[in-house]
Parts: sequence; structure tokens; C-alpha cells
Amino acid sequence: MYRYDEFDHAFVAARVEQFKDQVERRLSGELTEDQFKPLRLMNGVYLQLHAYMLRVAVPYGTLSGRQMRKLGHIARTYDRGYGHFTTRQNIQYNWPALADIPKILDELAEVEMHAMQTSGNCIRNVTADHFSGVAADEVADPRPFAEILRQWSSLHPEFSYLPRKFKIAVTGAEHDRAAIQTHDIGLHLKKNEAGELGFAVYVGGGQGRTPMVAKKIRDFLPAEDLLSYTTAIVRVYNLHGRRDNKYKARIKILVHETGVEELTRQIEAEWQALKESDLKLPQGDIDAIMTYFRPPVLPERPEGWGALAAAKKADAGFAAWVDQNVTPHKNPDYGVVTISLKPIGGIPGDASAEQMELVADIAEKYSQDEIRVSHEQNLVLPHVALADLHAVYELLLADGLATANAGLITDIIACPGLDYCALANARSIPVAQRISERFGAAERQAEIGELKIKISGCINACGHHHVGHIGILGVEKKGEELYQITLGGSADEITTVGEITGRGFSSEEVVDAIEKIVDTYLGLRTSKEENFLAAYRRVGAAPFKEALYGPVSRAA
Amino acid sequence: MSEATEQNGKHFPEKQLWGREGFRDDPYIEAESLEVAGDAPAVILPLAAWLGLDDDVRRTSNRRIGVFVAPGESIDPLLDKLDTVPLIALQFPAFNDGRSYSKAEILKGRHGFKGELRAVGDVLVDQVVFMLRAGFDTLEVTNPVALKRLSASDLRDTPGYYQPGRGSAKTAGGFSWRRTPAA
Repeated sequence: MYRYDEFDHAFVAARVEQFKDQVERRLSGELTEDQFKPLRLMNGVYLQLHAYMLRVAVPYGTLSGRQMRKLGHIARTYDRGYGHFTTRQNIQYNWPALADIPKILDELAEVEMHAMQTSGNCIRNVTADHFSGVAADEVADPRPFAEILRQWSSLHPEFSYLPRKFKIAVTGAEHDRAAIQTHDIGLHLKKNEAGELGFAVYVGGGQGRTPMVAKKIRDFLPAEDLLSYTTAIVRVYNLHGRRDNKYKARIKILVHETGVEELTRQIEAEWQALKESDLKLPQGDIDAIMTYFRPPVLPERPEGWGALAAAKKADAGFAAWVDQNVTPHKNPDYGVVTISLKPIGGIPGDASAEQMELVADIAEKYSQDEIRVSHEQNLVLPHVALADLHAVYELLLADGLATANAGLITDIIACPGLDYCALANARSIPVAQRISERFGAAERQAEIGELKIKISGCINACGHHHVGHIGILGVEKKGEELYQITLGGSADEITTVGEITGRGFSSEEVVDAIEKIVDTYLGLRTSKEENFLAAYRRVGAAPFKEALYGPVSRAA
Repeated sequence: MSEATEQNGKHFPEKQLWGREGFRDDPYIEAESLEVAGDAPAVILPLAAWLGLDDDVRRTSNRRIGVFVAPGESIDPLLDKLDTVPLIALQFPAFNDGRSYSKAEILKGRHGFKGELRAVGDVLVDQVVFMLRAGFDTLEVTNPVALKRLSASDLRDTPGYYQPGRGSAKTAGGFSWRRTPAA
């Protein structure tokens, strides 16, 4: 993984000093909250309902054991003993004191971490496939390019005051686990016929109150042009994106209002002027960054094949966990382990200090000192030998981290909602918890199969409800929390925005409504192989609406 | 600029001009047209008024005639006349309106504008480094904290930058990753 050199260390240290100075000016009253706001936002500090919140960047979701242990230490020392992993592969702390935040940043800098650009109208932490570098279906590891983008975008002089936040995601596989088509820029790393690396470039995806699927504006951009082309896109956006209305300020609105053809023309024209500039990436630069991401040398562990089979036979719980939470590694002696942060009835994405420390220990001993954070708010151990799976499982089980539900109905994405967030209209976490409890039985989840439920507590859609197979949106109506349901959303290589079923449901009704939808699916699927999304795409919304609102209802 | 400040009803007696070497006198006055500028030796006109001047007037005038560009105005009509502009003032109506950064980059980076590029408007200390790196030569400053910090040359800069850029003596001349990775 990427390691800081002297330059990175000095840069982050100076940035901590800058922010320390700004916090002191705020605490002394020299800066008003209004003046302080954009500065704290550049450093990941939000003001929420009850307290400041600090969001720490985990570039493309990759962490070492030492870094994870530090995150646990911060949770224990400066927060209430836990942290919350987010849909942008970051971690946020909900209860730090403002005066402590410079100290936290100092501690993060010790382990090559920071909180820059996790908020504010700048280029945010670049995300990538959480199975990067290990997935059997990958063309190339996208993280070196995410790292190049991270460096290029850090305190970018031209792009630190964009019309609105700007999110970039990169995937290196045909099957998109990074939801690139819901991003401002989505990059699909691939090879052309000559075997050269480049990107399909998507622009203008986003969620929020106006969900849009990104448009592909280039099928193959040579890797050397990554920064010049990205600069062209962001420059056109910076100059022409709307600044009169923050809800219309994302690039998706510019794409929509300008038209994708005209906007592409402007981007290409800008790019022609930049193409041969010093933004062009020489192969030597790309190679230098790639060396940081060289796959670890994994010893042969063929004994795992037999050991795994035996352990599965002997331990049904282990067998279920392996089947659900372990996915194929490029090396057949190894597996990729998803650590579910979705215990039945728990808070999606939360991890305690002890759990973080445990994961750090396991990663050091069993996963080449590497951990990933997924945008689905789980953790990943990317390199576990099949022979070690049972030992890892036992360790995880002891601390409530072995829930066998990756990709199942209880693997729910939820935003913090009204329990924390100043923007929310409704609570998200309690709804997630009740759904999780309703469907928590292992046999029932397995019977239902792959089903992604995503819950947002307001139209800003941080819980990605638009792209949930089942999406739940909390709204406020006449002082009451109401939940609107959408169906058929998806954020993979065929990204779709879910359709609203009809009138919303009260907090009491919503879990029953979800159950009706699930039962309807179970009743109409052609076989167990036809998952919820496939069935929905085949039959459409009608049977589900009928189940929810009755045959006579004209709800739409 | 004069238009904007008048519209805001603000009056800034302590307005000062700062460049990399420190505070300096500002020979320019702002005026809506040459006619109302009297015999001032250096004038900044709004973009429309500047473009309305005869090429001859711009080339042969014995005074310097700069141009003020608001963020919503296009710099395209200026691009083939850059050799006749001694000063371009790009406005930041609010510090978080970042359009003028891109224009600075285009003017200085792509078109090699040789005149004075000036940032005017809501110029705060926390953006000074970005402005210098985007290519601004001078900053028109009214904010008291910014004035204080600039007087003390206290910019709280980082020791290097990840991007190539003008304006920093400390730039090693390239991307950080062009250095040999640490072993």
C-alpha cells in the first residue's frame, strides 16, 4: 500500500499546524462560526445536531493494522468508544471536542492519515473497489490511479472552491463494486486491444434530491491523460457549474442543463489545450506509484483446501459464514473476507475501539497487514489463506464480527439520520435495526438471497436509497416521520434509480411494508437463482404496489 | 469592482494592495469610464467599458487602462488583446466563489499573460496561498485579519505542493510523485 515519504509527512504536518491555528482563532473568537465553517469543512469537521463530527479520510478504503489500531485508540480516547464507517470508505467520529481535534489530527499524522477534503466544496476522498488488487475478475488494480488523483487533488489551488462537492470513484473490474456511475466522475480502468491501460470516463452521476446516472463521455482515455482530462472536466465545471442554488450546483445538473454532447465538446476543447501540458503522466510516474501497490508475495498454502472442507463440515456456523462472507482471491489458496459491521439489530457501520483493535491484530497476523473499508460500510480482509479462515472466524466471532450476511437483506446501508445529522428529516438507524431484527434468522436471509436495502433520513440521500434494490427515504410530513419506498435501484455496472412505490409509511408500518415486498418477491421469482433485482426488472412495480396498497388503490 | 462595492454599500478606507514582496502603493483608480476617470494615470474599467474602447485608445493612451472581470463574465474576448492589458482584476465576490481561480490559471498558465493579475473582493488570509499559486500577482485586501497576517508574512503555507503551479518559490517543479519513492 502507499507509504508516506518525507514530502507527504511534511505536508500533512504543516496542514495540521494550519488547522490548529484556525481552531485557536475560532476558540478565541477571532473567527466567527461563519468564517470558521469553510475552514473546518476543508478539514473534515462538521457541526451536527449535538456536537462537532470529524470525518477522517481513508484513501480508497485501504488501511494497515497500525492505522486501524490508531482509529480505535482515537475512538476510545476522544470519542465515546466507537466510530462509524461511511459509504465513502471513511470513518467518522460523532463526539469529539473541537479543542481536541488538532490533537486527533496530530495522532492521525503519526500513522499517515488526515481528514483533509472529507468535506467542503472540493474534490473529496477518491474511492475505489474495496476488492481492488485481489478480486479474481479485475483487469488491473485501480488504486495507483486513485492515489495519483488523491495527490493531484490535495489542496488543489484551482479546485478548492468548486460550486459543490466533487466525488471521483475508480473501479478496475467489469462488475462494478465502486458504484462509479453514481459519482461526479466515474472511472473504469480497462485495457484496450493493444493491452494498454486506460479509462472509460463517466460524468454527472449523483444522488441527492435529483438522482442521475452518470453519462459515459469517453470509452477509452489513455492512462497518461488521466490528470489532463480530469482537470478539463473539473475546470469546465468550476467555471460553469451553478452557484445560485446549492441543490443545483453538482456537475450532474450542469450535464443535464447543458446537454451531454455540448458539455463533452467543451471538455474535449479544454482538454486539447491541456493534453500536452505537464499534467501528462509519464509511464515512469505511473510505475513509481504502482510499486507501492505491488501485490504481496503470498506463500503457497494448499493445505487450506482440505482444512477448509473439514472445518465447514464440522461447524455449520463457519460454513454459512464462509459461503456468504468469503469471496474468491486471485490466488486460489486465499480468500477475501468481508467482516460484516451489520450485526443483527445493530447500527450499520459502527465499530467499537476493541473491534477495531481486534481487526488490526487479525490483519497483521492473517491478512498481510491490510484492511479495506467498503462503501457498503463493512470491513474487508483482502488476503486470508483458506487454511487460516477458521482461526480468523473464531477471533471475529468472539467480538461479534462474524455475522454471515454480506450482500443479504440485513447488510443494510443507512445514513446517521436524525439521531445525529442536522439535515435529516427522519431517523434511519432504528428503521435499519428493526428490519435487521425482522429478517435476522439465518435461514430466512439465505432463502431471500441477495437484496440490498439502503436507507436515507432525508433527500440528500447519504444512505444511497435511490440505488437500493429496496430504498427507504425518510421524510417529514406534518411533524411526523414518514418513509417512502423505492424499488429496483442499483449501483453496479447497470446503474438504475429506484422507482417510488407510492405513498409513504409510518415508522410503525414500514417494516411490515418491507416484509410484504419481500414476500411478494419470494412468491413470484422463477427460482432461487433469480434475485430480487432480476425479478423486479422482469415483472416491474405492479405486483409490489398491489401488495402494498391493494388492487383498487391508484397509488402511484 | 467599484460597482460591486457600491452595490454592497461598503466603504473600505483601509483597502491595501499586497504583492509577494509586501504592501505596495496602488496607482490605479476604479472608474466606470475613461471620461469620469479624470486625469488619473492608471484606471481600471469594467469589462464592457474596456472592450468598448478603440484599439487605438488602448494602445496609444499615455495612461494604463486595466480591466475588471466579474466571475460571471467570460474572459474569451480579452484573449487576443492580452498584450494591450496592463492589469486584469478578477473578482471574488465571496471567498468561496472559485471561478476566478480557473480564469487566473487560463490567463497566466495557458496564455502567458504578462501584466498584473489582481485578486479583488473577498480576499481572506486562508485563500492567499491558493491565489498566489493560481497565478495572481497582487491582492486587494480589506479584511483586518488578512491585513495583519500579511503584514507579518504569516501565510501558514505547506512546505511543498502536490501540483505544479506558479507562485511558490518552494515549488520543486513538478508533481510530488515524480520524486523517487521512499524505500
